[in-house]
Amino acid sequence: MRKLLNQAAFSIHPPAIEEWKESGGRIVGYTCSFMPLEIMDAAGILPVRLRGVGTEGMGIGDTYFGPFICRFPKALLQNVGQGRYRFLDGAVISTGCDALRRMDDCWRKAGEDIPGIVPSFFHYFDVPQKVEAHARQWFSGQIRKLIRAVEEHFGVRVSDEALKEAIRMRNRIRVLLWKLEGLRRRPGSEVSGAEAFGAVIAGAVLPPELFEQELAAWIAELEEGAQQESRPRPRILVGGSVSDDLELINLLEQAGARVVAENLCFGVRHAEDRVALEGDPVDNLTARYLSESVCPRMFGNYKTRFKLLREKARDAGADAVILENVRFCDLHASENGLLEHDFEKMGIPCMRLEREYGPLSEGGRLNMRITAFLENLQWRKGVRRAS
Amino acid sequence: MRPEMREYNWDWMLGSMIHIAAGLDKASPLELTHMLRYVPYFSDTMGMFARLGDPAWHFVRMLDVYMQRVLAAKSQGKKICMTTFCFCPIILEAYGLVPLMIEQLTGLIAGMYRRGAHDYMDYCVELGFSETGCSSQRGMLGAYLAGLGEEVDIVIGSMGGVCDSNSNAYAFGAERLNVPFYNLNYPSEITGKEVWEYQVSDYKAMMAFVEKATGSTLDEDRLRDLLAEKAKQDAIMNRIEEMQIMRPNPLRPALLLLLYAGNLMCPGWPEYTALLQSIESDMIARAAAGLSGSTSGIERNRTFFFYIDHTGLSLSFWSWLEEHGISHLGGVPSRTFADTAPYVKGSPPGAVYHIDTSTRESMIESLVGINATMPMSRTIRGPHDAPHMWLSDTLALCEMYGADSCIYAGTPGCRNTWSNVKLMVQALEKAGYPSHIMTSDTFDIRVESWETTSARLEEFYQVRGLWK
Repeated sequence: MRKLLNQAAFSIHPPAIEEWKESGGRIVGYTCSFMPLEIMDAAGILPVRLRGVGTEGMGIGDTYFGPFICRFPKALLQNVGQGRYRFLDGAVISTGCDALRRMDDCWRKAGEDIPGIVPSFFHYFDVPQKVEAHARQWFSGQIRKLIRAVEEHFGVRVSDEALKEAIRMRNRIRVLLWKLEGLRRRPGSEVSGAEAFGAVIAGAVLPPELFEQELAAWIAELEEGAQQESRPRPRILVGGSVSDDLELINLLEQAGARVVAENLCFGVRHAEDRVALEGDPVDNLTARYLSESVCPRMFGNYKTRFKLLREKARDAGADAVILENVRFCDLHASENGLLEHDFEKMGIPCMRLEREYGPLSEGGRLNMRITAFLENLQWRKGVRRAS
Repeated sequence: MRPEMREYNWDWMLGSMIHIAAGLDKASPLELTHMLRYVPYFSDTMGMFARLGDPAWHFVRMLDVYMQRVLAAKSQGKKICMTTFCFCPIILEAYGLVPLMIEQLTGLIAGMYRRGAHDYMDYCVELGFSETGCSSQRGMLGAYLAGLGEEVDIVIGSMGGVCDSNSNAYAFGAERLNVPFYNLNYPSEITGKEVWEYQVSDYKAMMAFVEKATGSTLDEDRLRDLLAEKAKQDAIMNRIEEMQIMRPNPLRPALLLLLYAGNLMCPGWPEYTALLQSIESDMIARAAAGLSGSTSGIERNRTFFFYIDHTGLSLSFWSWLEEHGISHLGGVPSRTFADTAPYVKGSPPGAVYHIDTSTRESMIESLVGINATMPMSRTIRGPHDAPHMWLSDTLALCEMYGADSCIYAGTPGCRNTWSNVKLMVQALEKAGYPSHIMTSDTFDIRVESWETTSARLEEFYQVRGLWK
């Protein structure tokens, strides 16, 4: 993978962000994939997905959040509290899930104890949990509210034309990401799951023009390059709770699997995953960001999500599915229970894996479960062949 | 699940037991004492009910009607709607459906049986539900997923945007039961035209869903009757609330549990009106005698429970309050936000509800208002320190009711409140209210034993010097 993508995948403050900041660029952090990036792009602001990687303790996160809370928002708050996000000019907190939306409360309160950690632009972005007409209307109202807030605070104008231009750019990136999906899925592909996922994560933090350029160049290299890997490996789809650390993917691949697709909040969903260009840009953003989600926070849409995941597994030629969830992420934990049931019913081996977010302190336990699952997979394949 | 748990449907077991218990009000004290010897498993809870006297028997009779309606639903050609305690069931009754309120029933089982609903909770997990999910739903949901209750026809949730754990449980349940599901969704704000319009649209979409999924039509006359009765009940609750301001507070703690369980399960029922009247009479008598609601009649502390409370192990928590002279000043589930309530004066539209039975539309809007201000729907939908939400409600009520201290109780499955309970405690302590966080589980005594919970409570009151 190219160096710039690699740097962005592993760090919350890669050199590219530093350069953007040094050149006078403004940066707004966001917490959830329901935030339409195009709004910030159109305002000339760099949207950066907030991440919890690099935390070494949880003292600050635990001071404000209670004990029975997923460590992802705690890790975000930890990074915020340690001043690692002081480069932000603003933050948008979405109502992704209960723990994540309480980042709003906890961040503000932490700001009373640790001066300077709450950026001057701090916006609560309310996202409905359904896709019906009245919810779309509510959501488009929230998008317009966010646009107005950005315009007022930063003294910029977010025109329809600028929005459309931003949509075109993000769509080009989505096309490229989908192309990368195709490349990693090829039998014997030289793109590892960790590399592909790393590129996806880099896309959530890098300036979009730069990311597009780097991704296009990497894809061109991959297309020209010979397909190197010949040893057949079990092909795995990984789904579940939000994850922006590559350790789990690395662990799986080191155990002998090849992660051929993932469904972890980041990246593209399917080939048609674009924002429409005809008509009102806010309505188009509403349609894409609200209706195209694969997050279990959209209660009652399980069947749509299962269909999407089933197709993803089929198209990627996955032999099995691993569904992870961060401890206390009940939404994914329960959805994983349903998915496991339904995948197994279809004859697709499936494993649920509960874990902590953050440095893989429990790598040994996870490794043992993964190895056992992969062994079992080989055994099941053998039994199938024999019969 | 243990095989013996599969011997009988849970609802039939509970219904039969309550049906028998409903006849015990005619027993003499001596007969009751003898009877309790033969039911050691239930004797603590039944003993407490016997001590509470008339209001408790009203409650048991109301429960009897509730359970018999659930058990008889199918034979009467009625459909059953599984729903949450945060959803006002009046609309379902007006559609001729039988509401099945999961959390209250989990609480009831936790209070009645020493084994609680643990086997059902675990079964839910066996089926793939998150083991860290809220026990209030996991309990009875597990029983239904095991096929140990009447067949459910539809599921309605009402916690979208407020409580993920709750919504998640109903979504999971509907999927596993393979029945139609609708989840009401709330914005993070509570006032404003846009918010109101969204809630009305969502509620009407829910009604359309009910009609499509069940083929039922709305009986407006029935709806009017139920709402009119609820308005009467709200008026009694308001008087009870005003009496709670008195020193000493004459409300016996366990009666508060019966009061809010009834309000959540049976609003608009004449049986519930009778229960409220009985509670009111009990309070008037105690107030006249200058007694608090405690066993000794002396009030040693006034505590505001700023979330929920505790129902496990034969309602031990409630006996403990009574024995220790602690007045329970209510919590999130115990209050209505009717615009007639004494503590909501000056609140803007949206933050309170108004019952108007004049037209179909006004009745629907009344229900939208009730639903939007149900426990949790009102209090914890937005940031804890936003107007009309958790912190401002708690501080206002603590001041009005003269609280000496505050306690948080909940379940470890409550992601929403555990995300900001520390902020709440910080703010309450700053405002001068010594505050304690209970780490127990309201419905699952295995999480923290009652011995530990009560020891921690004792320690809190002792160390902070809160005994008067």
